[in-house]
Amino acid sequence: MSSRGSYVVFSGSQNFRLRLVLATLSGKAIKIEKIRSNELNPGLKDHEVSFLRLLESVTNGSAIEISYTGTTVIYRPGIIVGGSVTHNCPNGKPVGYFVEPMLYLAPFSKKKFSIIFRGCTASHDDAGLEAIKWGMMPVMEKFGVRECALHTLKRGSPPLGGGEVHLVVDSLIAQPLTMHELERPTISSIRGVAYSTRVSPSMVNRMIDAAKVVLKKVGCEVNITADVWRGENSGKSPGWGITLVAETKKGWCYFAEKIGDAGDVPEDIGNVVAYHLLEEISKSAAVSRDQLPLALVYMVIGKEDIGRLRITSNQIDEKLINLLRDIKSIFGTEVFLKPVDYDNTDDFIATIKGVGFTNTSKKIA
Amino acid sequence: MEQSNKEHRKRKEKNTAKKKLHTQGHNAKAFAVAAPGKMARNMMRSSDVNERKLHVPMVDRTPDDDPPPVIVAVVGPPGTGKTILIRSLVRRMTKTTLNDINGPITVVSGKRRRLTFIECPANDLNAMIDVAKIADLVLLMIDGNFGFEMETMEFLNIAQHHGMPRVLGVATHLDLFKSQSTLRASKKRLKHRFWTEVYQGAKLFYLSGVLNGRYPDREILNLSRFISVMKFRPLKWRNEHPYMMIDRMTDLTHPEILNAQGNKVDRKVALYGYLHGTPLSSSPGTRVHIAGVGDFSVAQVEKLPDPCPTPYFQQKLDEHEREKMKQEGEASTGTTTRRRKRLDDKDKLIYAPMSDVGGVLMDKDAVYIDVGKKNEGLSFVPGQEKGEGEKLVTGLQTADKNYAEIFDGVGLQLFSNGFALQGDEYQDDDEEEEEEEELDENKDQGRASLRLPRVHGKAIHDADEIIDDSPSDEEGNEDVDGQPRLEEIDFDDNINNKNEELAMGSDSEFELSGDDEDNWQRKAASKLNGKINHRRKWDIGKLIYMDNISPKDCIQRWKGEDASDEAAESDIEEEEAEDNFFQKRDQNNDKTHNYEGDLEKFVPYFETIEKLVQKFSNLDAIKDRFLGAPSLGDDQNDQKMNDDDEELYGDFEDLENKDAFAGGQEEGAESASNSDAESEDSFADFEKEQKKELTVDEERELNASKKEKLRLQFEMEEGENFKEGDPENEYDTWYELQKAKIAKQLDINNAEFESMTPEQRQAIEGYKAGSYVRVVFDKVPMEFVENFDPRVPVIIGGLLPTELKFGIISARVRRHRWHKKILKTNDPLVLSLGWRRFQTLPVYTTSDSRTRTRMLKYTPEHTFCGANFYGPLCSPNTPFCGVQIVANSDTGAGFRIAATGIVEEIDASAEIVKKLKLVGFPYKIFKNTAFIKDMFSSAMEVARFEGAQIKTVSGIRGEIKRALSKPEGHFRATFEDKILMSDIVILRSWYPVHVKRFYNPVTSLLLKNKTEWKGMRLTGQIRAAQNIETPSNPDSAYKKVERADRQFNGLKVPKAVTKDLPFKSQVHQMKPQRKKTYMAKRAVVLGGEEKKARTFIQNVLTISKDKEQRKKAKKQDQRKERLKRLAKAEEEKSQKDKEKKKEYFASHPKKRSAGDDDNGSSGKRRR
Repeated sequence: MSSRGSYVVFSGSQNFRLRLVLATLSGKAIKIEKIRSNELNPGLKDHEVSFLRLLESVTNGSAIEISYTGTTVIYRPGIIVGGSVTHNCPNGKPVGYFVEPMLYLAPFSKKKFSIIFRGCTASHDDAGLEAIKWGMMPVMEKFGVRECALHTLKRGSPPLGGGEVHLVVDSLIAQPLTMHELERPTISSIRGVAYSTRVSPSMVNRMIDAAKVVLKKVGCEVNITADVWRGENSGKSPGWGITLVAETKKGWCYFAEKIGDAGDVPEDIGNVVAYHLLEEISKSAAVSRDQLPLALVYMVIGKEDIGRLRITSNQIDEKLINLLRDIKSIFGTEVFLKPVDYDNTDDFIATIKGVGFTNTSKKIA
Repeated sequence: MEQSNKEHRKRKEKNTAKKKLHTQGHNAKAFAVAAPGKMARNMMRSSDVNERKLHVPMVDRTPDDDPPPVIVAVVGPPGTGKTILIRSLVRRMTKTTLNDINGPITVVSGKRRRLTFIECPANDLNAMIDVAKIADLVLLMIDGNFGFEMETMEFLNIAQHHGMPRVLGVATHLDLFKSQSTLRASKKRLKHRFWTEVYQGAKLFYLSGVLNGRYPDREILNLSRFISVMKFRPLKWRNEHPYMMIDRMTDLTHPEILNAQGNKVDRKVALYGYLHGTPLSSSPGTRVHIAGVGDFSVAQVEKLPDPCPTPYFQQKLDEHEREKMKQEGEASTGTTTRRRKRLDDKDKLIYAPMSDVGGVLMDKDAVYIDVGKKNEGLSFVPGQEKGEGEKLVTGLQTADKNYAEIFDGVGLQLFSNGFALQGDEYQDDDEEEEEEEELDENKDQGRASLRLPRVHGKAIHDADEIIDDSPSDEEGNEDVDGQPRLEEIDFDDNINNKNEELAMGSDSEFELSGDDEDNWQRKAASKLNGKINHRRKWDIGKLIYMDNISPKDCIQRWKGEDASDEAAESDIEEEEAEDNFFQKRDQNNDKTHNYEGDLEKFVPYFETIEKLVQKFSNLDAIKDRFLGAPSLGDDQNDQKMNDDDEELYGDFEDLENKDAFAGGQEEGAESASNSDAESEDSFADFEKEQKKELTVDEERELNASKKEKLRLQFEMEEGENFKEGDPENEYDTWYELQKAKIAKQLDINNAEFESMTPEQRQAIEGYKAGSYVRVVFDKVPMEFVENFDPRVPVIIGGLLPTELKFGIISARVRRHRWHKKILKTNDPLVLSLGWRRFQTLPVYTTSDSRTRTRMLKYTPEHTFCGANFYGPLCSPNTPFCGVQIVANSDTGAGFRIAATGIVEEIDASAEIVKKLKLVGFPYKIFKNTAFIKDMFSSAMEVARFEGAQIKTVSGIRGEIKRALSKPEGHFRATFEDKILMSDIVILRSWYPVHVKRFYNPVTSLLLKNKTEWKGMRLTGQIRAAQNIETPSNPDSAYKKVERADRQFNGLKVPKAVTKDLPFKSQVHQMKPQRKKTYMAKRAVVLGGEEKKARTFIQNVLTISKDKEQRKKAKKQDQRKERLKRLAKAEEEKSQKDKEKKKEYFASHPKKRSAGDDDNGSSGKRRR
């Protein structure tokens, strides 16, 4: 009643999904203005509208108003309910674009999340299936979300897609655990998956071999699986890609992935991904750059205690600053960065006091 | 006479079990369980006792070092001695006598404890509810001479549903008992009744009569000792919310506004008090609820010095001062603190701003000073002041200079080490001009108009706001130019500019910000300063949250990339210039820096592959990140690392180097290669060399870092996993483990907060419990200020994000068993849920074996039911209670708590249905098919229900098939059997019920008379007021069902059928008798005399029977008459009795007359 008409106002199209996700978690209404207002095709893109639809279907009572030109969105979040939903992703964006923000919401809903996404399963810019399965879900597990899985029913490479994945999050938790990670965890092994749809399996093996050559130098166990999809479950287009994950004993992991285009040489892709993995390892402390938003948001919505996470100075980039500013404008929480003084790295400890969020939508027994 | 005693019988020497234990020097007991049953019972009992002690482990968020005062609420019906009790306790603790008790009184009761006393206004249900939510300890006053009263019971029930604070019963008026035996008996009775209400063995104090306006000192001493050692458990709700009880209120509205717009404008109000619960967020616009007023955004919070600090806190402050002095090199005063057992008189502080402590009474708009009685001699004599207030006044009298004189020769000092600027030197300075003018004005006639105040360096978020205000990047440069973040001087014109820009600034501020000159100047200045300032090292923590600096700039500044700075800046300018033209922009953007392009991109930015290959041609940089990597002796970095470790584990030099290298990872010990051993040796030498070179300072530093690392490692082991899976860990039970975890986390919190600067701490932690704060609110309704009554407690409760949303709450409720009536669906109910009190329209429901939620018209009598209502959401598991009426004038004598319950679920909508039975009648029946009429009125309605299940009263099931074309609304249905024409066909359906979106907060504090809040009326009240009969459907009435006995015709089997039946199934029909019976053969014919006699007798009998009947009827009539008479007499008698009683009680009031309640405060009873 009284809070009607008061929003947190953002402008610009950047961080679109995360802003909506944060608003949903906090329950605050937001208004996003000037979405591509200076471009030739102004306003929301297809996939963004699709994302809003998805958000509407996993929540109850949320109101979305899109202006006539599509450059302004007002979003009044409802209650996260989850349940069984099927979502058809537009071909422009892969399922990863939609699955990733769901990971922020799924553990805090009324019912268990069970969403089937249909569409492309890979792209150059967005999270692939393995990235989510082996890269993001371990982070969730560190925060207490144990039962979550992403089942690949069909793979669909771009441009035509035809894939199908099933996101199941079974553990509904009241709030994420308070994180204390002050060390750089040591990597125990490197794993990976190289997949292909509708192309010769030799591509996969060539990628694996190339990656292994690079990773041989680090002297730790490397294990890359070949995952070749044939027949009707392999979508409509040919495609191939590789995801490498560096695992630690403590449960953290770092990853890199890439997919091949027509005309690419598999050896190159394997090579590049392996180097990207090394670069990612060198740049990250406990979490890698693409896991950082998830980890930070989970820390922000934690208990009213201090949580700590070690990050490197390389991880402080524009993306992070945007994220932190958005978090501040929605939750009012600031992250306190303290330089690590007990070893000679230029790392920081990101200290965050949780906002005392609890999953209120869940019914009591 | 001699006493005859029984002869002593000697104890027989038996071979007892005990003896048997010690046969042949063998102690059997030492080797086996002697009595397994008993032992089992003992163990069972002790573990039962232990188990009962356990509570769910909960984090106690009250700070240990300086906790907020304990809120002691004194509650009770009017005339039970609440004020006297507070006065006695305050006198006992601070040696101050209060005349009038207005609002909370905070006193120091021990070295580390303060108490805040509040008196709950008697007979104000709203105040009782609010007090129950915040009180830590309740002193429940009971008139021992009278017994428990309704208010007491109501309060206990309210408190129970808001987390149950500690309750101490205090029975007063015990001196009124004449005889000791009745006193004892009634004490016992009171005690046991109290125990059933609170818990078995709850403490009940007995206070006898009043001496000198106080209770006896000894009894009060006991009570105060009891209070001061009491321990409190954290309550869930209070452990999750910040809250505060205000002890002072000031109206900050500018008098000018009041003058101009009248006193009906919304006010700006400052509320003061101690914070409790979790820390209050310091970010601006935090939403809080003021109970009885509504939801508000906090405009400003300011922490004030504690007006009533504990001796412990003061001592710590002193120590801190001393430490500082020592550090500054001054000689310490040498006074060591003595450990005192008792409180010093000077430590016995009292703080009660709204009461008249020390002759000073701070009202909302003035300060009154008590000058004492007339005949006490002169007042306001310097040196002979009688109170704090007089001292203040005499102090003013002695002032020999006025303010203008004091500040005459004082200049404006901009920097602490700079010289003071005199006003006349800067007369012509642009920027200072206005301020100067203002100053001049002040000297002359004072300000007549409103000034927009900007306070120098006040609360943190204000400062942040200032920074936020500047909208464009260009202005951001100002901050870069080495100006302090807190602006100390009012550049008024600057501010105006900024505001204007902010107002106009939309798509591109650059284009719109009008005054180019100004901008140009600033730009030029920034460019000039550029070279110096780019060298500055930026704090990334601050940079991140400076919204006026773009993220890209942030990174650049932080990394000190000044070379590219200039270029980038021009880039920005160019880009923004391009904005003006409608031009496709993403192209060039993406090509030049694709890194910054789309922040939505998941895959992070990587360098080109060539660079990466080059970078990782040597893997040394990340070698240490991998497990089982061979250590390399040549790398400087590694050396250093090893070095540290070596020193750390100096004692274990014999161990494999590998272990040390991997930082305590046991897994590392897979294989120790020869090279390791070699490198170890070389390190040992290297270390020795290095050790010599270290100076003392360096060594100290090294030790500190070592210590820190050790601490962290300990934390990792202890703090993170506590070896949970390990059965050998030091925690015996799950409970202990949880406790240890909680304690550890609290330690970490404290340690982290202490490592921050006070500003950072406040920004991250907020204002923590125990601090005395001033909270300012804008736009508070004027009634709050105008009708402010210090006696009524005002409570501010913080709201969590969920509690700001509105929706449907489904709860489990139960009518309170002492409430007289059951509750009706959609009848308004005032709920006290969370901090709020609001009226809403609940729909009561029940669950039909979890398939649907069905509406109930009324709550069931003795059991729980569901309730769905609209209102502000509240997290599940929150208990609440509801009352129907809060206005005292509408209250009867009954128990007011109508319902109690707990929130089960919150949602945006609710699915509730009610049963709807549609009834139809068959008018034509075929075999299993029938035509049904009267159920629907159109074919369309039938179409909607095609295929629906129907049923006859006799239980024959069927289905709706199709609408009939001709009589509109009739349809064809099939059944599992042939139905009868007399059957009724029923269609059972479910009709959705919507919860009405009605929310009406109880704004009792806005009223002049706080106890008279009236909201929506109950249905019954409206009917009574408007003289409307309760509608009653005759079909719904319960009456005796009278069914005519059905006559069935006998079964007649047609001959044709019978013929074909088998013999077994033949219908057996006997032939009519042919032979005449004995009697038939002998017919007796009456005749003559006998016939006559018989006829006569019959006639006589008929007549007498008739007579008797008439007599009987008459008698019955008479009897009825008599009964009527008797009933009338009885009624008259009872009427007379009632009148007599009324007359008697009018002249002999038993307790107090009903009209007494309203002037509650003055309800002191005369005896």
